[in-house]
Formats: sequence, C-alpha cells, structure tokens
Amino acid sequence: MPAHARFTDLVVQHLDAGYNLARWLARDADDAQDVVQDACMRALKYADSLQGNDARAWFLTIVRHAFYDWCRRNRPSEIAHDDGAAIDAAIANPALGPEPSAIRGAETRALSEALAQLPLQFREVIVLRELEELSYKQIAKVVDIPVGTVMSRLSRARALLQHSPLLHAIRGQSFGGES
Amino acid sequence: MNCNEAAALVAAHADGEIDRLRGHSLTKHLRGCAQCAEKHEAVLALRRRLHAEVEYHLAPPALKQRVVSALAAAEPSFALKAPPPVSRWQWMGAGALAGCAATVFAWIIGTALIDARARDDLAAEATVAHVRATLGNHLVEVASSDQHTVKPWLSARLDYSPPVRDMAASGFTLVGGRLDYLGGQHVATLVYRYRDHMVDVFVRPRTAVSPDLGLRTLRGFNVARASGVAFDWVAVSDVSADVLAPFVETLAKEQ
Repeated sequence: MPAHARFTDLVVQHLDAGYNLARWLARDADDAQDVVQDACMRALKYADSLQGNDARAWFLTIVRHAFYDWCRRNRPSEIAHDDGAAIDAAIANPALGPEPSAIRGAETRALSEALAQLPLQFREVIVLRELEELSYKQIAKVVDIPVGTVMSRLSRARALLQHSPLLHAIRGQSFGGES
Repeated sequence: MNCNEAAALVAAHADGEIDRLRGHSLTKHLRGCAQCAEKHEAVLALRRRLHAEVEYHLAPPALKQRVVSALAAAEPSFALKAPPPVSRWQWMGAGALAGCAATVFAWIIGTALIDARARDDLAAEATVAHVRATLGNHLVEVASSDQHTVKPWLSARLDYSPPVRDMAASGFTLVGGRLDYLGGQHVATLVYRYRDHMVDVFVRPRTAVSPDLGLRTLRGFNVARASGVAFDWVAVSDVSADVLAPFVETLAKEQ
C-alpha cells in the first residue's frame, strides 16, 4: 500500500527528532521509547490532521502530547510541581557548583545536567529551540502557546541555565576567552 | 534605540528572529553599549555551548525496527475493526438485525481492505493481535496469576473452556487473559511473562484442518504453533524461538 508506506517513511524520517524530544522530557531511555512508540500509533490515527509540509513539527506535537499523557499516568507529581514554586527552587537551589578547577569534561556534563533539571515547561522550549532548531512560530504550534509566551519562556529558561549553580556563569566574555 | 528596547530584542536577534530593520538598529545600539552587548553575547555563548555540549539523542535502531513493524502490523488492524465481544442477550433485541447487517458490512469492507496474507493466515492475524495489544497497553482484560481466576473468566465469554495453566516452573508466569478475534471467531488469549517479554498464547478448539505447525518469524516476532488433543495453540512473542517452541508444545501436550 503506497500511501501507507509513505506514511511509515515520514514517521521514520522524524523518529530521531521525536526520540530526542521524548528522551529529554522523560529523562529515561526506556520511557522515551514507550512514549515514541505510542506517538507513532497516534500519528497513524491522526494522519489526516497533517496539513502543509511541516511534518516534523506535526510529529513533535504528537510526541509531546504522548509524553504528557504518559507523565500524567506515571509521574503525576512532576506535572503538578511544574509551577512557580519549582521554578523558584531551581533558581535558589543552594547546591554547590563544581569547583573552579573542575575539568572541562565535568563542565560539559554539567550543562546537560542543568538542562535536565529545568522544569518541564522550560526544558521543552530549550530542546525545541536549541536541539531541534525550530523557529518561534513552530515552537508556538508544538507547545500550543502564543509566540510571545515562547519568547518569555525561552528567556526565562536561558536565565535559569546561565545562573545554574551547576555551572560557572555563562558569560559572553569569559566564554570568548576559553574557546 | 535605548537599553530597554534593546533588552527585549537581544534574544530574538540571537535566535535570528527579528526583521532586518530592527536588527540593524539593534546592532548599532550594541556597538555603542557594552552592557547590552554583553547580554547579547551571553545568549550566543549559551547557544554555542548547548549545541556543542548537550547530547542529541538518536532513536535506537531497535526502536526504529519496532515502529516500522508496528505500523505495518497496525495498518490492517485499522482497516479491520474486530467487533467487540457481544453478549448473546443483545442479539435478541430489536436492533439485532441492524447490528448484524452492520457487522457483516464492516466485515466485508474490512476483509476487502486487509492484505491477503493476514486474511488467510492465522499466524499473521495472531501477530497483529499481539502487536495491537502490546501497543495499546491492552494486554489483559482479566489480570491474575491464578489459573482458577483466568479460566472461568474466559469460559464465561466463550463457547469453550480453554485449558489454563501456570507455567512459572519453566519461567513463564501467567499474567492474565483476554479475548481476541482470530480466524473469524473469538478466541481465548493467555498472557504470560517470560523475563521481560510478554507472550501471547491463543487457544482455540482444534479444527478439522490443523494449522501449519512449527515456527515462523513475522515482522520480527516469533510465532510458534502446536496442536493438542482438543486445542490448537499459537504463541506470539519476541522471546527467542528455541524457548517459545518448547513452551507451546508443552502447553499443547499436557493440557
């Protein structure tokens, strides 16, 4: 069935993107696989809703929905806590950062760690912008929020990363000097 | 442009999301304002570090395979919607005739759409049922490791009473059972767990024409079949063939 084969190709083409998003949201390889597999079956069901050419954003939207449904079932507390309090805690986290002498490798892991610890609503916009390289408009569509909200969430998320106690402050000048 | 206006645009500029005109006046402002320039550079620096240091997780090959076979398997099942188990009392209602006609109609359309192999081949149908149940998290309708719970549940819904045995001694733990619709009839499905693998065992009364016995691999799943005195057995799982085949033969022999 050629139509069906085309659909499978399309899903496979965007499977890496879907898995990467699910992996960063779920923060677990096995859970991410479950989420993506569920998303693929949903995609088949909602194949009619694919309009235009932006299949990647369409598939990422479905993966995101599949993740949140999965999360409500398996980790309801994570969504419940994803509010202002968690964000304040993330900012005020008294955990000690790495020693100034920490090697570059530890710093590298630290940035991934800092991203993994961001509250969900900030983590998802960073992953969509920086790893999937979606535009503001595409992110707005995937997350179903206005473009203005995309911008404010991104800016909040970046501030959290820049000031994460896990990292040395990421400043333009110091970075320029290191690289 | 003042610093307040610039602050609102710095990130959008770093993201390549502002129009040329505003980009131009922002660039001009950044040249003359060290504070705003530093903010702008900080966003760019963070972006560079995220690109360089944060892992982009590629889908594991096994996931890719599973998705491809699941989509291939799900397609006929979307065309062929098995009618839900219907209590026989409903057939006595006034709507029975209409319901019957609709079912027959759906069956004809469905049958015309699915591929010929799935139509004629119990093993292929069993694989589709296994995949559909696994993906839909609908493996069991009666969850119990007690054969004395599973058996009556199935018997009450079928016109035969399938043998149900716990096989924990050989590593197969009974998880529960459900009903499936295979080869034009409702059949009992026993669900076992072997280590981390789920195993579906379809049991139906032995037909005059026995199914092909032995092993097949369909869409990455192993399908093992055996016939006993009264029943035909079909086991579907991603458990390796040399484990699955003896298991289903034991079930068929010792019923």
